[in-house]
Amino acid sequence: MKTPPVYISGAGIISSLGTGLSATEKALRHNQSGIRPLSLFGLLQSKPLLVGEVEGGVDDSSLPRTHTLARIAAEEAMQGWKHGIDAVVLGTTTGGILTSETLLRQGCGDRRSYRYHGLHTVAEYIAGHFNCSGPALSVSTACSSGVAAIALAMRLLRSGRARAVLAGGADSLCRLTYFGFHSLQLVDPAGCRPLDINRRGMAVAEGAGMLLLTGDGTGTPLAVLLGAGLSCDAYHAATPHPEGAGAHRAMSMALGDAGLEVEDIDYINLHGTGTADNDLAESKAVHRLFSRPPPLSSIKGATGHSLAAAGAIEAVIAALCISSSLLPANTGLETVDPILGLAPLPTPQPQELQTVLTNSFGFGGNNGSLVVGKKTTAVAAPARQQPQAPLFIHGYSCLSGGGLTEATVESLKQGQSVAGTAKLDLIAQALPPRLIRRLKRLPQMALSLAADARGETAPQENLDSIFLGTGWGALSETYDFLSRLAESDEQFPSPTDFVGSVHNAAAGQLAIRYGATGANITAAGGDYSFEQSLLAAELMLEDAKPPALIVGTDEGHAVFSPLLDPSIDGESSLADGGGAILVSRSEVGAICRIRPAYYGSGSADSAIDELAGALECLRNRQRRCALVLAGIPAAMRVQGEKQLKRFFAASALSAPVVDCRRYIGEFATATAVGVVLGVRLLEDGVVPMALTTLEAMPLDPDRDTILVLSLGSTIAAMELSGS
Amino acid sequence: MSLIEELKVKLITILNLTDVTPEEFDENAQLVGGELGIDSIDVLEMVVMVERDYGVTINNKEVGEKVFASLANLAEHIRVNSAQTFS
Repeated sequence: MKTPPVYISGAGIISSLGTGLSATEKALRHNQSGIRPLSLFGLLQSKPLLVGEVEGGVDDSSLPRTHTLARIAAEEAMQGWKHGIDAVVLGTTTGGILTSETLLRQGCGDRRSYRYHGLHTVAEYIAGHFNCSGPALSVSTACSSGVAAIALAMRLLRSGRARAVLAGGADSLCRLTYFGFHSLQLVDPAGCRPLDINRRGMAVAEGAGMLLLTGDGTGTPLAVLLGAGLSCDAYHAATPHPEGAGAHRAMSMALGDAGLEVEDIDYINLHGTGTADNDLAESKAVHRLFSRPPPLSSIKGATGHSLAAAGAIEAVIAALCISSSLLPANTGLETVDPILGLAPLPTPQPQELQTVLTNSFGFGGNNGSLVVGKKTTAVAAPARQQPQAPLFIHGYSCLSGGGLTEATVESLKQGQSVAGTAKLDLIAQALPPRLIRRLKRLPQMALSLAADARGETAPQENLDSIFLGTGWGALSETYDFLSRLAESDEQFPSPTDFVGSVHNAAAGQLAIRYGATGANITAAGGDYSFEQSLLAAELMLEDAKPPALIVGTDEGHAVFSPLLDPSIDGESSLADGGGAILVSRSEVGAICRIRPAYYGSGSADSAIDELAGALECLRNRQRRCALVLAGIPAAMRVQGEKQLKRFFAASALSAPVVDCRRYIGEFATATAVGVVLGVRLLEDGVVPMALTTLEAMPLDPDRDTILVLSLGSTIAAMELSGS
Repeated sequence: MSLIEELKVKLITILNLTDVTPEEFDENAQLVGGELGIDSIDVLEMVVMVERDYGVTINNKEVGEKVFASLANLAEHIRVNSAQTFS
């Protein structure tokens, strides 16, 4: 059996090189650079640094710049496509923060003005724009986000969950990234010179790249997506592994996934940021994998480094190079650094290409590689194993205002509220002081959840992959970074806070602690972030792999949470915490299994019927839905309650319902605590009286399912059942 | 307070070395990559502090490596390059 190919049926791009495929191709053919002094926002002190800024009036007063960039690229990718799309997967690290930075400086306290702050709003906006009622997933793995999004989209298609997916990445320039990379001394004052002996860093940039990926290649596909590989260095928060171990693994995995050998690759599009460490580590990885590397170059001397957009922009460029027979130059290069032992292309070359390997690496040690090929190579792809076994849960933990796992679960079982902010001193007690000395609230909560879920008593095998959902990311680090930037009149931004501010910083810490060198995905899906991380795990976790950790956590921040999260009604209702489950495809020793049964837009008319049709506990007459743990964010109460009522009517279900957020509190990943409660009830074999309103209900592991239902703007269902 | 003592207190604060007291801080011990677990991000945090509090800029990797080899070296670099005078 052959794996069905994934076609690149459309592509769109916007960067400092221009808007659209043809402008981009022209710039690449003429070895032009789009790197110029920053003009997007004014600076209080210094002369503007060189950046890759998108020129021309792209701004739309009603939307943040990232959203607009994403839409421009998406519209080009969708040009001529007459069918719908089943999902949107988008990588971003900035979301609406450029707009929020300005509002914060103006002292704006109007919550509506911040409604597009969250990373999830970009994917949701794009999905809405194209009437997509399927999953709108947001990936935030720093500078590998674009590749991670495309890799997930590829799995959605291969697994048959979707037939057409719009996937890519978008980021706008903003003060956070501009000053952040500067504070790390990673910006080259002379522009960007990847692989050059005098290279001093990157040019921070912006843009968007989008691919319309389809399973049947209707129309005239540009190229095919042959393989993807995701790995994590598990080494350092911001510095790449010195030998490029993770980069090597990502490239090997992408080749393996494509069913190709190293000699099959015609061109490598390097990550090549122009920083001393990245270029050196990447060159070592290339040498380890390729005894004689094919032609290669980094285009970041032309585009700059557009962070989450970079991987998607370069995937689009890989397809463009194949379709237009072009090898792009290593723009900005004068003298190759001899220590790298590479011969990057000094000028653009016309050449027919069959395959391109493209790399993207980022903070948190995240690495992603893609293999793009000519249309005709599609049929040669070998069969790949799709995961067959369900996901089994082997450990769990949670955290809330009510305390650690035991305290939280016991209170919930008695029908008591645990809403409130978790006690940080309680969390820190169990973590070594040196481990957490630079970590603020979110990464500390994640580390605590991970340790507890693993039940750390004796040495255990390392984890392989980490999937972390967070609605709002590291609010403390982001707030502290922006505050110190403003207080010091833009003179003394904190490098520590910048590194900690990325959404995937916590997942990166988990990878380092547990040697988790497999895929490391952070989903930033607003109130549905935990649900998205479970879906990512379902798509990525392979049968024979060691256990993976799925975490959902959010912090309640006194200033940011009430301003950004519409479900939080002032500082008095702050709540936070999270939950974690240890999963694998092996049933041996498992507590129960978890099935991500449904994920789609909550506004689609057909959503409730589709949801009911997707549930195993309703379809299979041998099974019974014993309890519904419903999560309705406060800001979507009316919509969510209506959906719940309709669901009960459509399914003729009579199970008791627990209104989870009323007990757990209002925070984006409260669902993770709900899931852990469900796991515990299955383990206990009984639903206590306080949760049924009638009497304690014994659970039959062979028959009973606990349904965790998330409602509101999205509807997601997860089924927990005995092994 | 001498510059060395002042720096010990500052480093403990900005690097959040909660398990170290100024008395235990050996100014001649290896600072970066030593027992305290100080790495490249901490170095950059110290660079910011040195510029903000003493008006001394360190933006060169080679100079940085020498300066941050030990707390005593850092104090000496500040003493030589700062417009302030120290006891």
